[in-house]
Amino acid sequence: MTSILGQILWLYMYGVLLAIVSISIYGVVVRPHILKKIIALTILADTANTFMIFIGYRLGATVPPILTTLNPSPSDIATFVSSAVDPVPQCLVITAIVINMAVTALLIFLSIQAYRLYRTLHVKELSRLRG
Amino acid sequence: MASTIVLFVLTLVSVALGATAFTPSLDLRPLAEFYLENCLNQFNKDLWAASPEAVTSMLWDYRGLDTVYETTVFFLAIIGSVAAFRFGEAFLRSYEESKRKQRREEGLSLIVKVITRLTFVLIVALSIAIALHGHLTPGGGFQAGSIFAVAPLLAIAAFSRRFVEEFGLTKNTCLAIRTTGLITIALIALIPLLSIALGFTGVFIIQNQPKPWALQPSFPGFPVYLGPIWLAGTLILFNVAEFLTVASGFTLLFILLSLPEDFFRRLMGK
Amino acid sequence: MIPLFFSPFLELLLAFSLTMALVLAYFAIVQRDLVKAAVLSAGQSIAYAFAYYLLAAPDILFAYIPIAVGIYTVLLLYAISKTERFEEG
Repeated sequence: MTSILGQILWLYMYGVLLAIVSISIYGVVVRPHILKKIIALTILADTANTFMIFIGYRLGATVPPILTTLNPSPSDIATFVSSAVDPVPQCLVITAIVINMAVTALLIFLSIQAYRLYRTLHVKELSRLRG
Repeated sequence: MASTIVLFVLTLVSVALGATAFTPSLDLRPLAEFYLENCLNQFNKDLWAASPEAVTSMLWDYRGLDTVYETTVFFLAIIGSVAAFRFGEAFLRSYEESKRKQRREEGLSLIVKVITRLTFVLIVALSIAIALHGHLTPGGGFQAGSIFAVAPLLAIAAFSRRFVEEFGLTKNTCLAIRTTGLITIALIALIPLLSIALGFTGVFIIQNQPKPWALQPSFPGFPVYLGPIWLAGTLILFNVAEFLTVASGFTLLFILLSLPEDFFRRLMGK
Repeated sequence: MIPLFFSPFLELLLAFSLTMALVLAYFAIVQRDLVKAAVLSAGQSIAYAFAYYLLAAPDILFAYIPIAVGIYTVLLLYAISKTERFEEG
């Protein structure tokens, strides 16, 4: 079991991640420039991914979920299962990173095209145009 | 006003409830133990994925359909970006002709060019190594494709976009390489289905190894080793195909972004 | 000599890197000059990459570093050079 300082630090880190989520939601909702909203959106998505990996960690383990021999004996496999980190969130997070990146690239291309047509990237002025 | 207070109190309560049980545990969930135990289990080959790496075997064997759909989303995003910045090749030719007289010394200084030549080769070699070893060490198709995408970006910045285009890295080349990668992924995923014609009955799509618990005879699976080299069935083929797809998709985005604004202004007729 | 009872090294390093990420993310969002905001967001991604290494996730590290530090920053800088640099209001 970990010490008291360790447990307090895990709660502190949980609070820090929630603070980053709230700052980036503020950035998406309040800031009027489209590129600033895109920056805040990428920070929000990355924080959600980090939170998933955070939950999938096993206390006291620093072994990534990768075997080191090609012919493991049953005792090797048993040691591996009892000392490795959870691989399921890592698989889901790789998928999430690539999908978020594809969506962000499309958003940036569309915002450049919007600037070419309307010469502004301020949300209030874009919403005043009609059609 | 009341709704704001209610929302605030609910947020505080949910955050506090989440924090009470929060310390990472000492045991794993049963699903994670299943994947860790069976990914390279040579004593019980019912459910193995022939790879010592749990994450890659989950990406392309146990949860392969997730990855196929993710590749589809990536493909759609690239198509949307290419469609927003579309232009005709003839217009690009005539634009370059008209700018030929005014072309001054292009690119950055000599020191940057020499260093970029060295690091370009290093980055390409590293990305190919990560793609080919994705089933044995951390790595794989997505990681290698993203690392590869940094190299043409450096080349476009240090030399100019026209220089890189004369080397053969045009929009149509990238589209062709990306299509090749996607067709390879689709073929490897569907080859087990085509073997139904040869009389195998226990076949699934994205199948890597034979399944003794399905209807016999089951599809014999892709080869696991070739002499001393450990291929991991379909994992190495999927990794290489995904590397080609992702690398050429990113290169296409950077080629489109480095076209000057003057070109698009003339294209849109202003 | 490091005292042997002072054991939570991993938690201290993780807390340090996530605090750096919080500070950099806050400054990236309230900054008006978009070039500085893009560079600060790249710094925040480096802090996250350190956290991924400490949490024993090397596959994600290889995918996250070129995407967040390489591709996002370059896409944003291209977009800023083709549109405006400062954000008003």
